[in-house]
Amino acid sequence: MGGNMKNKSWVTAVYVVVLVIASIVTIYPLLYTISIAFSPGEEYNIGVVPFTQKVTETSFNENGKLQMRVATKFGFSTRHFQELFEYDGYLDWIKNTFIVAIGVVLITICVCTLTAYVFSRFKFPMKKGMMLTILILQIFPTFIGMQAVYEIVVRVGGYNHLWALVLIYGSGNVPYNTWLIKSYLDTIPMSLDEAARIDGANHFKIFGTIIMPMLKPMIVFLGITSFTGPWVDFIYPKLILKPDNTTLGPGLLQLLGTGSTESHFTLFAAGALLVAVPFILVFIFGQSAMVTGLGAGAVKE
Amino acid sequence: MGTSIKLDGSSKKQVLGAACIFMGLAHIMYLKQYLKGVVLAAFELIFIILSPTIYENIRKLFALNGNLANPSRVRLIDGLFYIIIVAIFLVAYYLSIRNALDSYVECCLDGRLKSQKESMSGIAGKAFPIFGLAPAFILIVFFVVLPLLFSMLAAFTSYSNKDMIRFKWVGFKNFADMFGGNASWTESFAGVAIWTVIWGLMATVTCYLGGMILATVLYGAKLKAVPVFRSILILPYAIPSLLTVSVWTFILKSSDIGIINKTLISLHIIDANSTIQFLSGSNSMARVMCILVNMWVGIPYFMLLITGQMTAISADVYEAASIDGASKFQVFKSITLPLVVYQTAPLIIMSFTHNINNFGAVYYLTGGGPNTNAATSAGGTDIFISWIYKISTDQGNYYMGSVLAIFVFAVLAPFAIWNFTRTKSFKEGEL
Repeated sequence: MGGNMKNKSWVTAVYVVVLVIASIVTIYPLLYTISIAFSPGEEYNIGVVPFTQKVTETSFNENGKLQMRVATKFGFSTRHFQELFEYDGYLDWIKNTFIVAIGVVLITICVCTLTAYVFSRFKFPMKKGMMLTILILQIFPTFIGMQAVYEIVVRVGGYNHLWALVLIYGSGNVPYNTWLIKSYLDTIPMSLDEAARIDGANHFKIFGTIIMPMLKPMIVFLGITSFTGPWVDFIYPKLILKPDNTTLGPGLLQLLGTGSTESHFTLFAAGALLVAVPFILVFIFGQSAMVTGLGAGAVKE
Repeated sequence: MGTSIKLDGSSKKQVLGAACIFMGLAHIMYLKQYLKGVVLAAFELIFIILSPTIYENIRKLFALNGNLANPSRVRLIDGLFYIIIVAIFLVAYYLSIRNALDSYVECCLDGRLKSQKESMSGIAGKAFPIFGLAPAFILIVFFVVLPLLFSMLAAFTSYSNKDMIRFKWVGFKNFADMFGGNASWTESFAGVAIWTVIWGLMATVTCYLGGMILATVLYGAKLKAVPVFRSILILPYAIPSLLTVSVWTFILKSSDIGIINKTLISLHIIDANSTIQFLSGSNSMARVMCILVNMWVGIPYFMLLITGQMTAISADVYEAASIDGASKFQVFKSITLPLVVYQTAPLIIMSFTHNINNFGAVYYLTGGGPNTNAATSAGGTDIFISWIYKISTDQGNYYMGSVLAIFVFAVLAPFAIWNFTRTKSFKEGEL
């Protein structure tokens, strides 16, 4: 608000209180996860205060008798990370997920921007019907038809192949993101591309040299959001990859344990932390692109 | 072909007739657009050659009497695939007729037929949308539309993991079971339906209000530390929810491993033998936890969004207000708030439809439990989408999952259409 308007001190106090409380609530679970990931013991030893844990100490008292007592001590170790890297498959999960994520980013950016360009700048029959179809399709998680997806993947020889996963995620990203990019492109005046057309540039050239550079913030946004998906999905990897060749989502859930298998929350925490840190860095540095992208999603009147 | 037509508009019927008889005929005979005509004719020729295969596959879809060599589920997919091919052909046919008529009208206006060169350059320009849309079209048809149609059709069959080969059409039997015919399914449906609506409303309202409060505070507080607070508050949005929600599951565990229970025990508020069953006790407790954890996950999105809207308000507006002597509170109440609400209101609806289908927020936290019904696998916190997932994967009861998918589709599609009709491009009739 206007720089000449200052807050009264009690208003500032209320603001600070709200911010501090919200920050504590936000950060506490994260802090706890970090403390579990770095704890020297197992999850049932974790102390109430982050970075502490219960240890059983044995000692001899003055009478020479063995004494045991439970103490809460500060502790720090990287052993869960070491265990994680030695855990069968962990590095493969990371590698697979990374490959898939890169593929999905490329497909999403190329297909969505091109489609959005066509929808935004061309007139052709049945455009309205197609736009409406896209909009209706994007409200559904694609896993509703997962039996059919499985059949199709097997048919085209994609079972247990990463590229099948790339195609599935890429297709799932198309409807919503096309709509998003189209809304953004609609706000950019057509004068630039029309000028280029008069100069004799063809559509591909206009798309590559004029539209793409203007879409830069949206491409960053698409890159970030579509890179995220594969790291955390477990439904499709479970469906079309074998358990020994899977991605991070099913892998981490495997660490959490299902009814029959043992839970390794300490390992999960370490694994989750390693995934979360890059995400946090990307979001902090990409904040302005995120705001632009979210703003474009708000299809305005 | 020396057939000529009058260019005063009177030969419209001839052009229409030729275009209807065979794709591309009018282009070759009358309009002298040979290349386009030949491509179109070849397209129809391929279709005619393929038609026995197409017929056979669609017939099998209708009969659906699968056997080991050609199971029902394969028949279902193949049949759908060829129905889509037929649909594409019919649309292409229709468009070719329209194109012939449009070209004819154009030629009449020009008073002459286009030269070969002109029509070629026209093709290059007009074909761009086709090339541009093709990748998206193929991906969406194969991995989104076909699977969705498959799952819709499965609702009218007996397709389950116990019957994947010989399943048959059963008409509306599954729908009858779900909506009244079978007591346990109907009961589960009613329970899940009510909770899904409450969940959708609560999840949306709590996150929107929370985001509004935090955005207002961040925006209003004139502190150097604001960027630090913002970075902290944004964290839940940055980290994938599968991870954070799983952490919450751990925090809320009912045994003394759960951090909250552990803390309460060590503070001697509760006894070690009577820990609080956050996620595994009563339905209402687990539901409240779902909403609270969802707030933790979902508020940052709205905070980010509303912050963006607030900073987008022009400084002139504030200047004018301060010249008029408006107090800070007045400015907020009568300028900032109404503008932000106006801009973000449509997103509340979108967020509602998103939350109705918010699989992760429920499934990662509770797995749909507690108190899961053994017959229908519907648990206390299951919303439709997580229930569909559980019916399909845990039970392998694909047909019932499909019935629900159709139901959710029927309920949510109007929201999507409404959202479509209020977009700017739709209103201005630009499409």
